Amino acid sequence: MIPTLLVYGLVNSVILALYALGFSLTYGISGLANFAHGALYILSGFAAWNLIHHMGIPLLPAALLSVALTGMLGFVFYWVLLLRIRGIALAELVVTFSAGVAILEILTWQGFYGIRYSLPVFLRGGIEVGGVAVDYQRLLVLGTGVVLVILLWLFVHHTRIGLAFRAMAQNERTALSVGIESDWVGSLSLAMGAALAAVAALVVLPLGVMESTIGYEVLIYALAVAIVGGLESTVGMILGSFLIGFGQVAAARFIGAKWMVIVPLAAIVVVLAVRPSGILGRFKELEERV
Amino acid sequence: MPDRKGIYRKKRLDRGIKARADTIYLIASWREIFYLLLPRAFPVGFLLILPAVLHGYWQKVLVFACVYGLLALSWDLLASCGLFSLGQALFFGAGAYLAGGLNYYLHLPPLVTVPAATVGGGLLCAGLLAPVIRLRGVYFAMVTLMFPLLLMRGIETTGVLGGTHGLSALSPFPGETLTAYLAVLAFLACLFLFRRLINSDYGLVLMAIRDDDRAVMSGGINIYWRKTQALFLAGSVGAFAGALMTHHFQFLGMSAFALDYSILPVAAVALGGQGSFAGAALGSMILVPLSESLRALGGLRIALYCIILMVSIVALPEGLFHYLERKYHQFETRAEVE
Amino acid sequence: MKRKACRAGVVFLALLALIVAVSPMEAGASSKEPIVLGVPTSLYTPFGRDGLKAVKLAVEEINAGGGVLVGGQRRPLEVVVADTRGGEPGTPVHDALMAYEKLITEKKPHAIVIGAFRSEVLIASMDLVAKYRIPQLGTIAQTPRFQAKIKKDPEKYKYLFRVTTDALVDASYINRTLDKLKNDFGMNRIYFIYQDTLWAKAFSGLMSKHCKAQGWTQLGFDGYAAGATDFSPALTNAKAGKAQVIGMVWDVPLGAGVFVKQYVAMKVPALLIGFIPPMASPMAVKTVGPEVEYSLSVEFPVGASLPLKKLPKTVEFLNKFKQKYGSLPEAAAVNSSAYDAVFILAEAIERAGSLDPDKLVVELEKTDYRGVSGRIRFNEQHVAVFGHEDPNETGVCVVFQWQKGADGTLRRVPVYPDFLAEGKILLPPWMK
Repeated sequence: MIPTLLVYGLVNSVILALYALGFSLTYGISGLANFAHGALYILSGFAAWNLIHHMGIPLLPAALLSVALTGMLGFVFYWVLLLRIRGIALAELVVTFSAGVAILEILTWQGFYGIRYSLPVFLRGGIEVGGVAVDYQRLLVLGTGVVLVILLWLFVHHTRIGLAFRAMAQNERTALSVGIESDWVGSLSLAMGAALAAVAALVVLPLGVMESTIGYEVLIYALAVAIVGGLESTVGMILGSFLIGFGQVAAARFIGAKWMVIVPLAAIVVVLAVRPSGILGRFKELEERV
Repeated sequence: MPDRKGIYRKKRLDRGIKARADTIYLIASWREIFYLLLPRAFPVGFLLILPAVLHGYWQKVLVFACVYGLLALSWDLLASCGLFSLGQALFFGAGAYLAGGLNYYLHLPPLVTVPAATVGGGLLCAGLLAPVIRLRGVYFAMVTLMFPLLLMRGIETTGVLGGTHGLSALSPFPGETLTAYLAVLAFLACLFLFRRLINSDYGLVLMAIRDDDRAVMSGGINIYWRKTQALFLAGSVGAFAGALMTHHFQFLGMSAFALDYSILPVAAVALGGQGSFAGAALGSMILVPLSESLRALGGLRIALYCIILMVSIVALPEGLFHYLERKYHQFETRAEVE
Repeated sequence: MKRKACRAGVVFLALLALIVAVSPMEAGASSKEPIVLGVPTSLYTPFGRDGLKAVKLAVEEINAGGGVLVGGQRRPLEVVVADTRGGEPGTPVHDALMAYEKLITEKKPHAIVIGAFRSEVLIASMDLVAKYRIPQLGTIAQTPRFQAKIKKDPEKYKYLFRVTTDALVDASYINRTLDKLKNDFGMNRIYFIYQDTLWAKAFSGLMSKHCKAQGWTQLGFDGYAAGATDFSPALTNAKAGKAQVIGMVWDVPLGAGVFVKQYVAMKVPALLIGFIPPMASPMAVKTVGPEVEYSLSVEFPVGASLPLKKLPKTVEFLNKFKQKYGSLPEAAAVNSSAYDAVFILAEAIERAGSLDPDKLVVELEKTDYRGVSGRIRFNEQHVAVFGHEDPNETGVCVVFQWQKGADGTLRRVPVYPDFLAEGKILLPPWMK
């Protein structure tokens, strides 16, 4: 029992972390809560499906292409829609959210619903880890999660763009004064967030079938993880996803399977009561000003 | 110096009726009284006539518009003290479940359940969200967005209050036209009460919390207590809307916590303009009928709706109401550039 | 800046104008007073989508034959559709009901077919249908609450009929198949997994009760939320407990898709049996993979997606469907009911000789129709009667197994009931 709990708890946690990674990156850098995150996630899945089934492109190039396309969409999204309303929190939120809903609705309208829409796995089959049968795809999910986090850390700490990102996150005005263009960083952060959503989609979606409602699901889980872990902190985000991921498996094991979906709610309620800003979030009681 | 002949610019002048502040006017003639009253009296009169003229389906649309209007007003009240909510569905659902539960299990008539749900829903929401009001901005928005969705899951899992099937055959209000009038009157009352409230001292404090919370604190006012009060007010209004809908449709299900009830009010405010309540009201009166007439488009309805919303926000970030208000109070002439 | 705003405003207005211009165009277009069939359903479920296709197929056939004879005049049928979106859990029931009511008041249908998908919406819409007095032949939602509500006030809800099975019938078919597994192969260890909604719970509850009575060892009875994405706890338990059979009931594609893929990945050595759309669908091999082999599913009623040699009407219907739409229906449930419902209605209208709802209801109650799904008659609660014995007496369902044919391709072989069976249940090699 315990090995299963560990292995699948780990897999579920990493899936949650993958959901939240892009969202939290964009928010951490440019303070932009991208509520179209879930829609971009599922859109990239359908894009890959179309590339594979209608254009006959093999899986790997189709996946890469889909990640690139989704990233570009995020970039364009910033310049077309968000540029003019940057800084008005309400407008930003409504625009990203309605863009997301529009994407999901158009997908549904196109008839992307049903079991035929299923991405192939990269590798069929599986192995036994400590007596627990796991398929290669879930191991791939684990690997992707770990590699992405390491790559992101390297990117943010050791490249020029990454350093600019951090500068913008720490202090926008000072960053502006040393020649970092706010809109470029904003649009790049959105593009990266979108691309990360696409990567997550392409490794996680083959585990099941695709459906546009997954878009809402992903957004909800990304938010839950961010709330529990603390909004700005990547480590907190990872902690949050482990808490919820293991919590779900444990709840299914010890209380009953249907209680799995309650775990995020319970986690949020408990965290709010104890530490309203999340496990590792900075306590933002009053408006911050410089 | 390029030749500027024949180039015109717009020249705007405020009408001379306004004195000192937005709410104090200098009135000199009947014409000016009429000028001031028209934008207030016309929508009120129009709304009061509508329930009598419409029937059946479109009457229901009117009720819907008023319900979303109430939710939008409650949103705007929260926003005016800096609480940025994405969870009007929490208020709506709390009211709906309180009213429906009281009616279904205790067989209380709507005359009792609706007021009880209004007050109880307000208390419940204020209690639930009280820990979060210390946080600002997007954080509060996220928490409120999550709450109703997760409560929906909770009802699904535990099967309480009807579970996934919901409770049906609840007592209706006597007569559909009466319901429509109830909705319209509640909507108008809420609109004017809130407009009055926000200009009173109490409202000034609320707005000051949004603008500069430290200054308010240094004035010896407990801002968290004030925010909780605002939550109670907004929660009550939303809960009333939920109770109304429950009895109107004689049905209660876990979809009372659906995302629509959170998003549509925000959309209405975004379209109409924030901060004046009239904007919220105007927005919902435009969006709901628009969304209903888009039904003919079938599956693309919501997508188009979102696109319209995006375009209007990007093109007119201040909101429709503020734009119209400005136009109404200004002369606009073309003047030649000198 | 200002000018840009103006331009955007113009675009906005143009869009509005376009919408206003489009809407009346759809409303118009009528010929010689057709009989209007309303289809308010959730089009984005396979059941709603394929059900509508089946209805259109039936309408085309009837119109090709001249239409329906009412008062000495042949009138064509016309289908009007409203997408209630009621199948999506995010849709408020109020919203679905608005779509329903808009269809009723604006398109003025003489009767309604298919109806709601989610049980919740069906129950809530019953009052609406009763209020507007429109005969409705529901063909998707399977909840037994429907009968219960009719029983409460038969006069008020007399306009409502259900042409398809309910969860109780579907479960009884699975139970008989389980008996076979026990008698033929000596299996006696079962694990249940179900979608935590009322109809699926009722369905699997019946299975569980039956198994207990027949001496099976029940290793687990786990409900999962409809949106569940991980079934490892139940699958691990099933594997550890050496379950020989996993009974599964699920209707939304999402969780079921994850389940079957995970079941395959975790190599659980147990037979799958129940109602699992991705496993039962004609497209299962493509979606899930060759591992669908040996799994057993119930199709309710017959003819929904599997052509049966012993019932030529199912072959005929599915061939027509395939010819018109290019592929078989996706879901192994209720499609044939939607097709039958239109003919049942047409016959009732001809017998009544009028479109008056009350006269129509009286004739509908007398229905005795031999269609694709068997012989359809209604009981006192206006529910079609289904049984196990004879398609000439009641409606029937079928249980089938994925088996490898002589040429190595996987196909669905009917195994129960015996009068429909084209093969025997095969035991997978890893279970011997």
